[in-house]
Amino acid sequence: MKNNVKIIRMNASITQEELARKVGVTRQTIGLIEKGKYNPSLQLCISIAKELNKTLDELFWEVDAE
Amino acid sequence: MKSWISFLLPEDEYKEKKLLYFISEGATIVILYLIVMFIMSNFFQISAKPTIVIAICIFGFYVFSRYILSGIEYTDIATKVDYKKQLRVTRIKSIGFVVLFLSLQVLFVNFPTNLNEWVDIIGMSVSGGVVLFIFEYISLKRSYEKNKDLIE
Repeated sequence: MKNNVKIIRMNASITQEELARKVGVTRQTIGLIEKGKYNPSLQLCISIAKELNKTLDELFWEVDAE
Repeated sequence: MKSWISFLLPEDEYKEKKLLYFISEGATIVILYLIVMFIMSNFFQISAKPTIVIAICIFGFYVFSRYILSGIEYTDIATKVDYKKQLRVTRIKSIGFVVLFLSLQVLFVNFPTNLNEWVDIIGMSVSGGVVLFIFEYISLKRSYEKNKDLIE
């Protein structure tokens, strides 16, 4: 699943490790989510959104470019 | 989602999901094996004990192999430096295992009285250490290979 987690995380100057620790998963899991290789549970999506101060739409909603 | 097996599963949801897949796959293979053995028992004399032991071994070996090959054990090893550092730890752990196993054997199980017994005990301890190192090495290597593509 494509997402904006990596861009938003980097803009917020948070490392993968920090985000992983805050949301209670491993750094590997964050890396996999950012690469679109793992679809997180809704609970984890919400935790990430809260940590990055963004909505689920901003993080995970895919909008096709016209 | 909670179940009685939850205490055996990792906290991380990706690892938990992977492990649940491995356990389910292992269980499915064991069921298929048992069905085949059940059908074969109509035609051949099959004793229960080895059949059960083989079923347990198939399950254990399958789940363990999938786990170490999946690269989910060392989730934080993503750089060459971390990898080398962890490899040193793995070496020390394997040597520690050999020393501990040898000491326990000699002190509490059977003190060797001749050269052959010493060779047996040392050989067994070293073999155990080598096997442990190989498993840890494969798991570490796979984890590193997986993680280095995910970094930042």
